[in-house]
Amino acid sequence: MKTIVDGIFKQNPVFKLALGLAPAVAVATTAYNGLVLGVTTALVLVIAAVISALLVQVVPKTARSVLHLSLLAILTMGAYQVLLQVDPQVVANLGIFLPLIVVNGFVLHSLERSATVSEAAADAVGKGVGFAIALVVLGVIREFLAAGTFFGAVVLESQLPLFALAASVPGGMVILGLLLALYNAVTGQGGELSD
Amino acid sequence: MTEFLELVGRGLITQNLILLQGLGMYALTRHTKTISGALKAGVSMLAAMLTAGLGVWFLSALAIPESLSFFAYLVVASLAAFLWQRLLEMPDSFSGGLMDSALLGMLLLMGRSYITGFAAIGYAVSAGLGYLIVLLVIAFLRYQLQLAPIPKPFKGVPLVLITAGLLGMALLGFKL
Repeated sequence: MKTIVDGIFKQNPVFKLALGLAPAVAVATTAYNGLVLGVTTALVLVIAAVISALLVQVVPKTARSVLHLSLLAILTMGAYQVLLQVDPQVVANLGIFLPLIVVNGFVLHSLERSATVSEAAADAVGKGVGFAIALVVLGVIREFLAAGTFFGAVVLESQLPLFALAASVPGGMVILGLLLALYNAVTGQGGELSD
Repeated sequence: MTEFLELVGRGLITQNLILLQGLGMYALTRHTKTISGALKAGVSMLAAMLTAGLGVWFLSALAIPESLSFFAYLVVASLAAFLWQRLLEMPDSFSGGLMDSALLGMLLLMGRSYITGFAAIGYAVSAGLGYLIVLLVIAFLRYQLQLAPIPKPFKGVPLVLITAGLLGMALLGFKL
């Protein structure tokens, strides 16, 4: 349980480990986009982590990256097909970042650490939920600044043209940078990475 | 010729992988601590991208169905990454390797813009150059900022992201 809670806040993939930032700055432009990508990534990671932990004894160390990439590729394509049936518009919005779950930094990073099945599952659930929360938080802020809406519901009638850049990639980088600084200020850490 | 130059401009500036596509964030935050580190990361990625571009050129002769193109791109990207990791004696793990979102992302962007054949090599090289230049510029800025009085929470990744974001906003002007 502690591993799960740690993955959400203390070891949050985006805010603490600064991994998986590409989807965060590129497609978490609305809360809904962030939620869909975050949940999909979390599901793919949990399934891949359990299968990879089961196979870790049989697969030689040199072949592990190939195993991880193939596992993630199959799972991601499965998720892609399901999402395409459920909501084709969101697949179009997420663009290349849905297939890019395969090389998402924090997913590969979590899979590389060999552990027992239960440890791997707890770690994956915590990190996956932490990642989804980070994407939703970023999506809510960017959607509000750029369009004045919250999950598509109008909050501000008048547009804030000054903040339209929040929906662009560079705007996302600045907002994420400020959020990371806020996280560091709250947790009392410096922003330098230890790894 | 104009079309080819436009393609190069896209790879270098208007579709810059790091600043305007948001790819390669791992290299942006991890490999820009020193200028030499950024140079090494950028040049090895440029080599991997060139190899992947050659791979796509070869693939376009095979007429692979569109439903399988993602797997084809993934195979090309991993082969290019592993080849250069071996040649440059880089670690196989993700954290030291070349297999990041920039390489596969570039191939997927190529597929979406229907860039195939010889043009794929031109696009891959310009995208790789754009990636290298951004890493070098950010590493240089980080070097310059070392002595600046930066508040503790902003040190490291937050400041890199804000700097890159401001640079990216300048590049957005070329899209108009």
